[in-house]
Amino acid sequence: MVKEVERAGIPVVHVCTVTPISLTVGANRIVPAVGIPYPLGDPNLDVEGDKKLRRQLVEKALKALQTEVEEQTVFED
Amino acid sequence: MRLELGKIKITDVQFGESTKVENGTLFVNKQELIDMALQDERLKSVAIELARPGESIRITPVKDVIEPRVKVEGSGVMFPGMIGNKVKTVGSGRTHALVGATVITCGKIVGFQEGVIDMSGPIAKYCPFSETYNVCVVVTPQEGLGTHAYEAAAREAGLKIATAVGEAGRNVEPDEVVVYDTKPLLEQVNEYPGLPKIGYIHMLQSQGLLHDTYYYGVDAKQIVPTFMYPTEIMDGAITSGNCVAPCDKVTTFHHLNNPVIEDLYKRHGKDLNFIGVILTNENVFLADKERSSDMVGKFVEYLGLDGVLITEEGYGNPDTDLMMNCKKATDAGANVVLITDEFPGRDGKSQSLADAKTEADALVSCGNGNIILNFPPMDKVIGMLDYIESQIGGYEGSLKPDGSIEGELQLVIASTIANGYNKLTARTY
Repeated sequence: MVKEVERAGIPVVHVCTVTPISLTVGANRIVPAVGIPYPLGDPNLDVEGDKKLRRQLVEKALKALQTEVEEQTVFED
Repeated sequence: MRLELGKIKITDVQFGESTKVENGTLFVNKQELIDMALQDERLKSVAIELARPGESIRITPVKDVIEPRVKVEGSGVMFPGMIGNKVKTVGSGRTHALVGATVITCGKIVGFQEGVIDMSGPIAKYCPFSETYNVCVVVTPQEGLGTHAYEAAAREAGLKIATAVGEAGRNVEPDEVVVYDTKPLLEQVNEYPGLPKIGYIHMLQSQGLLHDTYYYGVDAKQIVPTFMYPTEIMDGAITSGNCVAPCDKVTTFHHLNNPVIEDLYKRHGKDLNFIGVILTNENVFLADKERSSDMVGKFVEYLGLDGVLITEEGYGNPDTDLMMNCKKATDAGANVVLITDEFPGRDGKSQSLADAKTEADALVSCGNGNIILNFPPMDKVIGMLDYIESQIGGYEGSLKPDGSIEGELQLVIASTIANGYNKLTARTY
């Protein structure tokens, strides 16, 4: 899906846990997620902490979307 | 460690007044086994049913398959750490196995991925347990019991019953005794100095959420990679608590009868020196995958291995663990061969494995789990067909009114098992 959307001219950020698969498949902007069972949050945190984590992830993804890349890039911290 | 494995060939199974083996027939006392399982208050009811090769029987949903064995000499008991508090090291002395018999746990589904065993018809050829004499333990949980508690109760019932059935082989003269011998590392290396030192990297399913494996009772997601004598596995050091895709589920039976270990021993001292087993896991966090595969690579280097075979359990994200282990073992100086199965989609056009590395240049395929098959109806169902359409490989419309099934091969237990205990492969022409 990442590749097909990009082929249509729309840049994509792939937020995923297992970034090596994303690299193998060919995503260009990759943001590491939390874990396979809960990629976009962490049920071990309290509600406040979980919300903060979710916001950080979304903001990081939006920032990645606005970043020019020359090659496949994993946006670590 | 030196283990004598006495193989008692079982050629029939019957109910009887006591659980015993006579002239190749396994007799089981039904009520005794039921009472034993029902000591666990988490279970509401337990039934014991028998399934023999050639009978018109479908068993589903199948949770685990276990070969009955008993420790006759040497330290420890079967399935250490899993039953009671007995966790002594196993793998030496003498063990008797009822070869050709199994204990199968089935009944109301635990997860959503348990599979099917047909005892006859066209699907039977895909499953090793269509050819065995099976004691089926059909479990029903108490109402309201949580899924994880039910999984544990079903797992323990299977191990307890397999242990009790295995006990019937204690005083029976085996038809064949096979000796497996691995020496302490330096001695083993020096025993065959001219032969390549080969290891086996055994990846245990440890994704959690009912995808678990246990090593001496320790949940494999909590281990860091370790090293073991291959004979330990034959005494049940590794047990399955796993409800992953049935076609490549490594049941407890497959741990006891690991074909990679079996074949490496056959060539041990002839054209290779089998050094031992590196045990690792398949966790759901990237940091765990990095850490575990780093440690696998470190073991390969530390042990000075010239070559390794790697097997995985499951598919999808474990393919990344497989590729990381492949790369790091290669970087550590070993030649690497991977053993796995493939999921290229129903049209065969997708990537067969979720991940790939250039180092993965030697791979043995155990077949394609996505091909669609027709399962004719059977006269009898042990367990229930209620979940077929939600089991992996099933889909809406899979179950027909006459009890036949249209579904993917991956519905069938162990049909593409990624260690080679099956009959399928794929070749490049």
